[in-house]
Amino acid sequence: MRWLAYALVAGALVVRLVWRRRWRRGRLRHRLTNFVPFTGDIGLVASREVRERVRGRIFRIGTIFILLVVAAAIVIPTFNKSRPTAEHVGVVGVLTGSLRNQILSTAKGVGTTFTMTSEATVAVARKELKSGAVDVVIVNGDQLVIDRAFAASDASTTAQFVPSLAVRIGQYRALRAARLSLSQTATLTHARAIPVTSLIRNSPTPSRGAAGSTIIGLVLLFTMLSQYNTWILMGVMEEKSSRVVEVLLATVRPIQLLAGKVLGIGTVAIAQATLVVLFAVGLANAVGSSFLHGTAPLALASTLVWLVLGFGFYCWVYAAAGSMAERQDQVQSLALPLSLPMLFGYIMSITTASSGSASVPFKILAYFPPTAPFAMPILVSFGVVTWWQFTASALISVVSTYYVAHFASTVYQRAILRTGRRVKIREVLSSTSQ
Amino acid sequence: MASLVEYRWRRYGGGNVDFATPHAFRREGRCSLVRVDVSKGATLGSSLRVDGLVRRFGSLTALDNLSFGVPAGQVVGFLGPNGAGKTTTMRAVFGLTDLDAGTVTWNGEAVTQRQRRRFGYMPEERGLYPNMVVSDQVEYLGRLHGMSALDASRETASWLERLELGERAHSKVEVLSHGNQQRVQLAAALVHSPDLLVLDEPLAGLDPTGVDIMGSVLKERARAGCSVLFSSHQLDQVEDLCDSVVIIGHGRLVASGTVDELTTSGPRRLVVRVEGDRDARWAQSVAGVTMSELDGGAARLVLSEDVDSDAVLRAAMGAGRVTEFVFQRRKLSEVFREALV
Repeated sequence: MRWLAYALVAGALVVRLVWRRRWRRGRLRHRLTNFVPFTGDIGLVASREVRERVRGRIFRIGTIFILLVVAAAIVIPTFNKSRPTAEHVGVVGVLTGSLRNQILSTAKGVGTTFTMTSEATVAVARKELKSGAVDVVIVNGDQLVIDRAFAASDASTTAQFVPSLAVRIGQYRALRAARLSLSQTATLTHARAIPVTSLIRNSPTPSRGAAGSTIIGLVLLFTMLSQYNTWILMGVMEEKSSRVVEVLLATVRPIQLLAGKVLGIGTVAIAQATLVVLFAVGLANAVGSSFLHGTAPLALASTLVWLVLGFGFYCWVYAAAGSMAERQDQVQSLALPLSLPMLFGYIMSITTASSGSASVPFKILAYFPPTAPFAMPILVSFGVVTWWQFTASALISVVSTYYVAHFASTVYQRAILRTGRRVKIREVLSSTSQ
Repeated sequence: MASLVEYRWRRYGGGNVDFATPHAFRREGRCSLVRVDVSKGATLGSSLRVDGLVRRFGSLTALDNLSFGVPAGQVVGFLGPNGAGKTTTMRAVFGLTDLDAGTVTWNGEAVTQRQRRRFGYMPEERGLYPNMVVSDQVEYLGRLHGMSALDASRETASWLERLELGERAHSKVEVLSHGNQQRVQLAAALVHSPDLLVLDEPLAGLDPTGVDIMGSVLKERARAGCSVLFSSHQLDQVEDLCDSVVIIGHGRLVASGTVDELTTSGPRRLVVRVEGDRDARWAQSVAGVTMSELDGGAARLVLSEDVDSDAVLRAAMGAGRVTEFVFQRRKLSEVFREALV
């Protein structure tokens, strides 16, 4: 673990050093400046967005911050996951082999081990209990003595071990009293639970790790959607207020400019999200975290899918809003109503993820495009959604996105060249000209 | 004369290439075939024409059946008082405003998006990304006009040097002075060697050096065959720079023609200076004479057709010793004022 951390830091320093040297020589700067991952006019606009956003300090610091948060969320729980300590059992009197097996089975059942010491008398055993040398004393095979009281909230191993041991010895004694043979008694006391089969095929079992990763995924999804939609909003507003849009639209059509911006920022969003997921998966594997157990991988993949779908749905609306504003204060008043559905979906999803079960109204939200990006990954992490339900929700979102994009691009084209004051939606919809 | 006309390939990166085979055309990359008058270096037939432009904003008529042309190889001054419709006209050329009526044509055909790529535009309210590096910005705009990455990079460096911005090529636009930002905007309009250059108030806010550079660039582009249309309120500079002038008022054309035609037409101008006479009151007594300007004792007089200049001279000599008596052309500022009366 420590060596992994050292290796990561050293690797980062080397990359940083090489980067700076190449940047100073101008090679990297030239390559980045001329890097055009897309083609055509939309591609040129998108490439500029990618370059300018990735170069920006906000992006770099933001990415590092997100990675640190994810790393903390994965690594810190592993510090608290202490190894189970062995239970120290004192024995007064004779302990039969069968009874010893009962102790062994009980210890296995609660995920621990045990050590056993023979105590000469009950008084000696009590002293040992007081001193903390032993956790529990078995007196003559029919009594357990402890030196503490277990509260209902006590989650310690001893608090699980002692009551289980009491029940198991009690059962053993009852079976023996019923004059069952040793082998019969052993058969009964070692009975295994029957398997539970779910009606939902191949549904991985939700786990605590999955719940944690789902909530982290949800927080990142909300953060990223807010961040990238704000970029769209501010980017469009800045192009309008700086009048550069007039120069651009003298060459490209408004829809090309808008599509390029969405494509560029969307690419940055997907790249950042992929980086975060890969980092999370790699780190979780390296530190042996339970972060990716159960339904967690499926939930994370679904979160990535819904990041794309959610960005696709919201970005057009934010772009249209940006085209109607010309100043920062106008942007804020426009952004607030747009963020409400997102905030609603996010809060509902966080609450549901914490409670561990999804209500029917929440399941309906998973098919409503503004809230689906948050609700559907939760249902996936709970394992209560089938592939066709997931696909249906995604299709509803895609179709809605088409109509939202059509409406938003109309607003954008009519509002982007209207300068001087904030454009009202009524004005935009009632006329067709700039 | 016909023998002096040839067809040449014009490279988007700038400059003409000698007549080339199709193979050479492919090798050269992005080129367009242009007709060149070799004797003048001018592209023939590439002219802008606006016809019957009408644009209404509610009850306000910004353009009222406006028509004029910008011939190839000429610098045309686009003049008019504030609110006359100059900016609206320029925006109409680039499709940035919808028209209620009228057409904008290039070489006799309606302007298309593809043709607009060969136009350069410098809007009145400068349009640049404040946070973007100067050279990146000019290259980006060049690429949007269809240039290859290599050409855009080379031409950007060339124009930034030419406009004395070489040292600021890697600065962000927002840290530049207003005048330098204006030069960046000009570089962005020129980087793709446009066939038509439309500049809205390009001289505003420039220092004398900047005005000189701007003037020489515009003349050079016109000599290379480019049609140049620019608006300005600095009429003396327009007079120096322009081959012809279009004057509009309330969205209507009020005067147009070459600078020579406009300044030599109309009533005669006579500048008379009488020693010791600072207010030229003697001129008021001469029928058919009105005073246009009085500058340090030199009276600039406008003579009606029937006024005999000898009578004016006698009246001046009656007021004192005449030290200056010169006929002059109309100033463009006088053409402008008289056209808008």
